[in-house]
Amino acid sequence: MATRSRSGTKTVSDEQDVEHKQLPDRDLARRMYEVMVQMRATDDRLVAMYRQGQLPGSYYSGNWHEAIAVGTVAALRDDDVLAPLHRDMGVHLWRGMPPRQVIASFTGKAGSPTKGRDGTLHYGRLDLRILNPVSQIPDNYPVATGAAFAAKYRGTDSLAVAYCGDGSTSRGDFHEALNIAAVMKLACIFVVENNQYAYSTPLNLQMATADIASKAAAYGMPGERVDGQDAVEVYDATRRAVDRARAGEGPTLLECVTMRMHGHAEHDPADYVPKELLAQWEARDPVLLFERRLVDAGYLDAEEAERIKDETRKFVIGEMRAAQEMPYPDPTTVEEGLYAD
Amino acid sequence: MPTETVTATAPGSTAAATDDGEVTYLDAIKEALRVEMEADPDVFIIGEDVGIFGGAFKVTKGLIDKFGPLRVVDTPIAESGFTGLAAGAALMGLRPVVEFQFADFISCAYDQIINVIARHHYRTGDAMPVVMRAPYAARLRAGAFHSQSVETYFAHTPGLKIVAPGTAEDAYGLMRAAIRDNNPVLYLENRWLYRRVKASGPLPADPVPIGKANVVRPGTKATLITYGPTLLHCLEAAEQLDGEGISVEVVDIRSLVPLDAATIVASVKKTSRAVVVHEDARFFGFGAEIAALVQEECFWHLDRPVVRLGAKDVPIPASAVLEDAVLVQTPQIVEAVRRVATT
Repeated sequence: MATRSRSGTKTVSDEQDVEHKQLPDRDLARRMYEVMVQMRATDDRLVAMYRQGQLPGSYYSGNWHEAIAVGTVAALRDDDVLAPLHRDMGVHLWRGMPPRQVIASFTGKAGSPTKGRDGTLHYGRLDLRILNPVSQIPDNYPVATGAAFAAKYRGTDSLAVAYCGDGSTSRGDFHEALNIAAVMKLACIFVVENNQYAYSTPLNLQMATADIASKAAAYGMPGERVDGQDAVEVYDATRRAVDRARAGEGPTLLECVTMRMHGHAEHDPADYVPKELLAQWEARDPVLLFERRLVDAGYLDAEEAERIKDETRKFVIGEMRAAQEMPYPDPTTVEEGLYAD
Repeated sequence: MPTETVTATAPGSTAAATDDGEVTYLDAIKEALRVEMEADPDVFIIGEDVGIFGGAFKVTKGLIDKFGPLRVVDTPIAESGFTGLAAGAALMGLRPVVEFQFADFISCAYDQIINVIARHHYRTGDAMPVVMRAPYAARLRAGAFHSQSVETYFAHTPGLKIVAPGTAEDAYGLMRAAIRDNNPVLYLENRWLYRRVKASGPLPADPVPIGKANVVRPGTKATLITYGPTLLHCLEAAEQLDGEGISVEVVDIRSLVPLDAATIVASVKKTSRAVVVHEDARFFGFGAEIAALVQEECFWHLDRPVVRLGAKDVPIPASAVLEDAVLVQTPQIVEAVRRVATT
């Protein structure tokens, strides 16, 4: 991973992995760990379901991205609005969406957040202040500015966090959203999950810049580049962006560097990714890195960690069964709900 | 320009008026915006140059003085960006009214409208109350990029409502209805009508319901079905034909989606002859859907095949003589009705 600093953006190095940064307090850190474990377990289960032919479509894994989803959402309040990416299941789980609803979305069941009207990665619940993603990412970048605008309009200090990948930074909506948010000084945090590939396109065919955080300078907002495998670092950087946003100082661009260890989706063998690159990242499992931190800090012991993982795995199997038992939506209702009353 | 005179409309409101005391189509839109912004603090306007400048056509002129820059929001030139912003604000319970400076620029926001806004309620059950004002269509010698009719691009997309007022009264009443609607409404306002048509009396006290056509002129021998600027041409043609002893009914669709099929069908079943007229290009134009509807529902009542009149299938040219040659003009309508009604 890149360690070269550009345009004053903060960079991190692998050595920092072994440093003990300021951990969140014990309860928060343990909750972060539990949600990361749950995200990993649900993700593993959905990958298995795909391989067993149980999903009608594909599955878009958030494997290796857990520290980004959980590290960001853990730094927010429940009234903050989220516009997550398909690799961010952890933000939904954090806000209380049960894994069965995520699984139901991938199987087209009536119990999915969209009641089967939409499917796969298009889950999101407004009651949890989570915008439902569309496939044209980063379309929800401008939409998130609207949530931040509404907060400003009403005089509250809640904020909006939008997520996209490295590939999405090439689209016009990325530019328009960052520019509008900066001009209007909206309380937005733009998280870019730089996982090295946009489907098969590597970074060097996506952009001519060495990093993404430095693009922030073009909009007149701060940009920060952090290690996306390190939940503590993501959490810390998010806290800084949150403080700026709540203080009325406007948006922040936060680049979280990670690696897509799976294909774009499970149907994609990703044989275009060099094996050496995958091998480099193999040792940097964000769940295990965070677990080690908690054990070192005395927040958790190794046995407890194993127990949490085992119980979560069993819990998710139960969630899968619950999703499997859900009915399909009623086809006679297919024309209902086009318009709101 | 809020002159505190003339035509009381809704309780506590007065319409801006012209010197002769009649409210123009443009002022009717402005008045509807003002009335709804007064009534509901969640309503706000967003777009390019809508604040102090008052918009390219001055529809929002003066509103920033009354409501301030938080409710009349100037944006960077970023149609997709501010349309997406409106969508997000709507999901948070606000009621944005987006101004596209010209309907021609709505193409820059197509993705947000189609993929985010239109299908949101069907996908999620969340309301998406966004009004999108688009000054549209031709006859102002403005050429290929400031003259387009955009309705058919959007009429094919489920989840949007589309209105196209042809009178000042409807411009007012439909805007009020659009703002109160919990769904996205594409409000096609006609630039050529802005100062050309005026309300013939007081503006309607209540919003004009979306989804209702209007029989503007009753008649017996043929039905002219139209919307937007060509309503004026159809009324002119009907008047002329009346002098020839041909009684023509004029139906103003005014709400394209949802479409009031019943009013159209009832009229054609009465007259047995139908001519569909619109400003937009003929091929795949909205009139094709109307003609198909009439064929399906009125086949055994028709004395003649349905006629469709629309612009020639070329971009709108800039030069006056070329533009006139491309668009439907009153004599063509007269001729078409005469042909179906007398043979």
